[in-house]
Amino acid sequence: MSLLLFAFRMEPLMRYVKIDIRNLSKHYEDTDKKTGSDKSMEPTKVIDNLNLQIYAHEFVCVLGHSGCGKSTLLNLVAGYIKPDEGGIYINEGKEKVTGPSRDRGVVFQEHALFPWYTVEQNIGFGPRIARKSKIEIKEIVDKYINVIGLEEYRKCYPGQLSGGMKQRVGIARAFANAADILLMDEPFSALDEFTRANMQKELLNIWSDSNNTIIFITHSIEEAVLLADRVVVMGNGKILTQKEIMLAREERQAENSGFMEYVNYFKSFIQAS
Amino acid sequence: MRRNKYSLLRVISMIAFLLLWQAFSMLNKRVEIMNPNFMPGPYDIILTMLQYIREGTFFSSVGSSLQRVLKGFFIGSIIAMVLGYFMAKHPVIENILDPVFSAVGSIPTYAFMPLFIIWFGIGERTKIIMIVYSTALPLLTYIIQGIKSVDPILIRSAMSLGANELQVFFNVIIKSAMPHILTGMEVSLGLTFSALIVAEMMGADSGLGYIIVFSRNWFKVADMFMAMACIGILYSILKGILTLIKKRVLRWQMTSFDNAVE
Repeated sequence: MSLLLFAFRMEPLMRYVKIDIRNLSKHYEDTDKKTGSDKSMEPTKVIDNLNLQIYAHEFVCVLGHSGCGKSTLLNLVAGYIKPDEGGIYINEGKEKVTGPSRDRGVVFQEHALFPWYTVEQNIGFGPRIARKSKIEIKEIVDKYINVIGLEEYRKCYPGQLSGGMKQRVGIARAFANAADILLMDEPFSALDEFTRANMQKELLNIWSDSNNTIIFITHSIEEAVLLADRVVVMGNGKILTQKEIMLAREERQAENSGFMEYVNYFKSFIQAS
Repeated sequence: MRRNKYSLLRVISMIAFLLLWQAFSMLNKRVEIMNPNFMPGPYDIILTMLQYIREGTFFSSVGSSLQRVLKGFFIGSIIAMVLGYFMAKHPVIENILDPVFSAVGSIPTYAFMPLFIIWFGIGERTKIIMIVYSTALPLLTYIIQGIKSVDPILIRSAMSLGANELQVFFNVIIKSAMPHILTGMEVSLGLTFSALIVAEMMGADSGLGYIIVFSRNWFKVADMFMAMACIGILYSILKGILTLIKKRVLRWQMTSFDNAVE
């Protein structure tokens, strides 16, 4: 009996709301001010009264056409831009997002490594900024260089690496900073198919060993279904649909009919938008 | 690496120039195309230099010139960097200061020297101000350009890794603007030297510029040549150091260039 009670208590402990997006709106003033007519002054709503709860250690993929507001949503969560209405709350509403923070790591489409730092300096940037000791920094750097398998390249500058390697360093840098939320803006879209498949596998490995909550932006339906616990489809600044992927990750293959069902389901929403 | 092929040629050219000069001055001593005293050869200049060294004025003159250049260049660079940062960051400040700087900057800095002497006296301070002014103004343009060209995604990325404004400035903005800043420093080093000599030629009692003016008054042309040669050598050394620093600081840039062109 007591065991059962314990099991009931465990559930809400593990599934608390990590990121709470409430009534979020963001408009952009029409930049085409030259026309001067009243019509053009109407603001475009990039995010339109959006609500979304993301749980701790959840892997959420946000899917949509370009221009659907998914990147804007990510920039809002990262704190780079400010919402016009509503807000984003972290850890069950304990903190409100007011600007960028080390707790919310970002991996960009274009890796965004510092070209003047070597691979190890890039990965160690977060810990160094946090004034961790040299030994601690080295431990963290060693761990993640090992995870991404670039030991031989630790003294190289980003300019000497291939696109896939750079993106791996970018991911390692985000994880090395021990942010518990990771925001990834189409991180693999610039990679070739083969590298992308490897990177997706690597990301899932790193993530499953961590406590990270991930928001992953993509325009590839297959990628979203392959990676996510839950897929959120966006269109015109709103959530069109969302669905948990109830397939084990090993079963997520193009040959699997369950996988294709999910893909077709999301496809219908995206085509309609 | 490409320079090695021609480095011998470069050395030969330099030696040939000195030998020709020496030959002309020796010929001139015989046939007197002009007063031999006015056309000393490299050998006479070396003798003059040795004499200065023996008298002890050589190192003190070079030293005081070097000190002025370094002081002025350093202060000028710092001022340009701070000013450049605020001008690049706040368009209001830039638009207030830029027209003024453009207007004042179009006047050759040497025209300011007599004015600076009236304002600040003929002491050391005036010379430093002169050098600072002629270093900072041209450098400022490069720094603003450099800071403006920083990729905003790198700033975002640093902020999300926990960097505050100061850390972003030192780890991202300065580093990213470094190629521009160092190019600007190379350009302004030449102007710094011109300012040094002008400052020393007007109301100084030490330094290489002073030797030129003082020797002119006594028609000691060999001394003038020696001072000029020293200025050239000093400039080359400082420029060389700057190039070394550039190579070291911008190693990350060189590596990508090496990858691009085998």
